[in-house]
Amino acid sequence: MTDNHNNRINPRRPFKGTASGLNRIVLTTAPRLNEAPHAKPIRNSQKNNAEQASILVISHSDRGMLDDHARQTVSAAAILANEATNITVVALILGDLRENIASCGADKVIVMPEFSFEKFQPDLELANITAVIERLNPIKILMPDNFIGDGDLGRRLIASQHTKTAATHVIEIDSLHAASPHAAGRKIAFTELPHIILLAADAADTNLPFIGSATIQPTIQSSTQVENTNNQQKSVSPYQNLGLKTIASEQVALEEADLIVSAGNGVSNVETFERLALALDAAIGASRVAVDDGKFSRDKQIGASGKTVTASTYIAIGISGAVQHLQGIKDCRHVIAINRDNSAPIVKRADLSIIGDAEAIMQALINAVAEAKSLSLQEAACACYLLLR
Amino acid sequence: MCMLSIATLVSAGLHPVSGEPRHCRNDSLAMTLGLQLAESIGAEIKVLHAGDENNPALPNYLALNAKKIDVISVASGANIVDSLATNLANTELILTGTRAEDGEDSGLLPYLLAAKLNIPLVANALAIKPIENGIEILQFLPKGKRRSVTVKLPAVVVVHPLAPIELRFAFAQQVSGQIVAHTAQNQSKTSSSKQIQWQIQAAINKPKKLKAQENKSGHERMLAYIASENKGGAVVNEGSSVEKAQVILSYLREHHLINF
Ligand SMILES: Cc1cc2nc3c(=O)[nH]c(=O)nc-3n(C[C@H](O)[C@H](O)[C@H](O)COP(=O)(O)OP(=O)(O)OC[C@H]3O[C@@H](n4cnc5c(N)ncnc54)[C@H](O)[C@@H]3O)c2cc1C
Ligand SMILES: Nc1ncnc2c1ncn2[C@@H]1O[C@H](COP(=O)(O)O)[C@@H](O)[C@H]1O
Repeated sequence: MTDNHNNRINPRRPFKGTASGLNRIVLTTAPRLNEAPHAKPIRNSQKNNAEQASILVISHSDRGMLDDHARQTVSAAAILANEATNITVVALILGDLRENIASCGADKVIVMPEFSFEKFQPDLELANITAVIERLNPIKILMPDNFIGDGDLGRRLIASQHTKTAATHVIEIDSLHAASPHAAGRKIAFTELPHIILLAADAADTNLPFIGSATIQPTIQSSTQVENTNNQQKSVSPYQNLGLKTIASEQVALEEADLIVSAGNGVSNVETFERLALALDAAIGASRVAVDDGKFSRDKQIGASGKTVTASTYIAIGISGAVQHLQGIKDCRHVIAINRDNSAPIVKRADLSIIGDAEAIMQALINAVAEAKSLSLQEAACACYLLLR
Repeated sequence: MCMLSIATLVSAGLHPVSGEPRHCRNDSLAMTLGLQLAESIGAEIKVLHAGDENNPALPNYLALNAKKIDVISVASGANIVDSLATNLANTELILTGTRAEDGEDSGLLPYLLAAKLNIPLVANALAIKPIENGIEILQFLPKGKRRSVTVKLPAVVVVHPLAPIELRFAFAQQVSGQIVAHTAQNQSKTSSSKQIQWQIQAAINKPKKLKAQENKSGHERMLAYIASENKGGAVVNEGSSVEKAQVILSYLREHHLINF
C-alpha cells in the first residue's frame, strides 16, 4: 500500500503559467522517467518445498546468456505457472550462464555448463535431461524450437518419452491449448496443452509484471552420476566432434550474420566504414538512403523493404532510425548507435548511443580494435610462454 | 570404401500459397544429396515414400532425377513409422528432410524412426562425406557457424533446408521414371508415439501471443507508456573520439560479443 502512496499525484505539484492558463500536467520529472523501472514483485515467494509441482524449461545458452527465443520460452512457462498458481518454474540451462534470468520468471535455475551448444553431444545431453525430468517429474516441459540444439534435443526427448503427448513448432499457447501450423502453414491445428512443448519464436511476450526468484540449484549429484555411467559408454558414442568454424562474415548471408555494422546517410567515407567492418569481422548492412545513394548494393539494405536481420550486435552508424529501418532490426539483441544527433529515434532503440561525428569515431574505433587485438595476441603469447616454462 | 546402402525418404509437398500438390523442396534436397553421394561412391540408393502411389506430388521427384520411387502403401491414419522401419532395417544411411509440408509437419518422423531402429541421428546436415567406418557431416548452426561431426553407420541424417544443392528438373526423366507400390508388411494402427488429437482450421488469423495478465491502474499504465517512450540505453555525449571508441569496445567486451 505504501507503494501506492508513492504513486499518488501531488495535488500541490509545480505548475507552469502558459498562455492558456495554468498548466499542471507535470506528472513526473524527467529524471524519474529514466529511473530503473519499479522493482517487480516475486511471483512465487513461498518457500518452495520439494513436492511442489513444476514446469521445466530446457534451453541452451549462447555466450552465457539466453537469446530472445529462450527468454520467451521461460516467460511462457512463468505465465502458465502464474495462471495455475503455486507452480515453480525450473529452468535447466545447457551451457554456462552469466546473467540473472529472474526477469523472465525463472524460480529455480539448474546450469549444466558442460553442454555448450557448440559441441554436439546429444546422447549425453538426453541422458542428463532425462535424469532431471525423472527427479522433478514436471507437469509440463517447454523448450524453444530453435536451431542451436534445442529443437534437435527436444525431438530426441519426444521420441524417447513416447508415452507423453508432445507438440512441435507451437506458435500459439495458452493455459489450455497449443496450436501448430499444419500443411505448410495453410492450416492451424489446435490441441489440448500437451506434455512436451517445443515453442516457436515469438509465441510469448517476455514483458512480465513479476519476476522469479531464480535461485541457482547446486549441481545435482545425479547429473554427474549420469555422466559417469556414460563415461564408460563414451568410447562407444556414435558421435564425434571435429570442430566448429565460423564463416568469414563477408560470405555469410546478412540474415544469418552475428555482428553487423550498418551505414546510413551520416557515413560519408565508405572506405573507412569498410575498414571498420573488416577490423571487427562484421557483415555490412545499410539504410535505404545509403543504398539509394549508390554507396552499397541493394542486397545490403536492412529494413521494411530490405532484409530483416537477427544479429546479436548491430552497430548503426549515421542512421537516424526511421520506423521502416527499425522494423528490420527488431530481433537484434544489442544495438549500438553512432550519431551526431542525440534526439534521433535510433537513440531510443539503442542500448548504447555514442553522440559524435561518425568519421572520427570510426577511425578511433579501428585503432582501438587493432590495439586490443595486438594486446590479446601478446597476452596469448605470454600465457604460452608461462605454460612452457 | 565399401558399398553403402542409402535410402532417402520423400513426402508429398504442397505449394504454400495455392495448395497444389508438388515435391517438398527440403526432401528434394535430401534426395539430391543422396543421389549425388550414391553416384560418387557407387552405392545403392532407394527413394521411399509411405502413402498413396497415385499422389500427384510424386512424379516431381522423378523429374528431379529419381529413377524409381518405392511407395509403401499405407492407409491414411496408419502409422508410417513402423512400416518405414521394417522396410529400412538393413539400410545403412537414411536421409530425410527437416520438415514435411502436407500434414503435421512436426519434423518428428526421423527421430521416431531413429528411436525405433535404435540408431544414431544427426540433424541440420548441409553436406555429407564418406569416411572410414562412417560419414562426416557438416552441420548448420545459426549466425554463420558450421560444425563438423562424424557418425557411425547405420544412421539417420536429417538434411537442413539451407543445404547448398541445386535442383534440376527434367521432364524426360519424369516420363521415363517409375513409381512402384509395395504393400506394407506390418501395418499397425497403434502408433509408436502417443497420438495427439488435432483440431484443424484454416490459418486465417495471426497467432495470438501469450501475454501476462497485468492488473495495473490507469495511472500506472500511463506511466508505463510514457516511460517506455523514453526507453533507451546509455547515451555518451562527452569525451573525445578515442574515449568514445573505448566505450564501444568495452561494451562489446562486457557482453562477450567479441573475442579479443
Ligand atoms: C515504404 C517505405 C519503405 C522503406 N523501407 C526502408 C528500409 O527497408 N530500410 C531503410 O533503411 N529505410 C527504409 N525507408 C526509408 C526510411 O523511412 C528512412 O528514410 C531511411 O531509413 C533514412 O536513412 P538514414 O537514417 O540513413 O538517413 P537520414 O534519415 O538522413 O539520417 C542520417 C542520420 O545520420 C546522422 N548523421 C549525419 N551526419 C553525421 C555524421 N557526420 N556523423 C554522425 N552522424 C551523422 C544524422 O544525425 C541522422 O540521424 C522506407 C521508407 C518508406 C516510405
Ligand atoms: N509419408 C512419408 N513418406 C516418406 N517420408 C516421409 C513421409 N512423411 C515424412 N517423411 C520424411 O520425414 C521428414 C520429416 O517429416 P515430418 O516429421 O512429417 O515433418 C520429411 O522431410 C520426409 O523426409
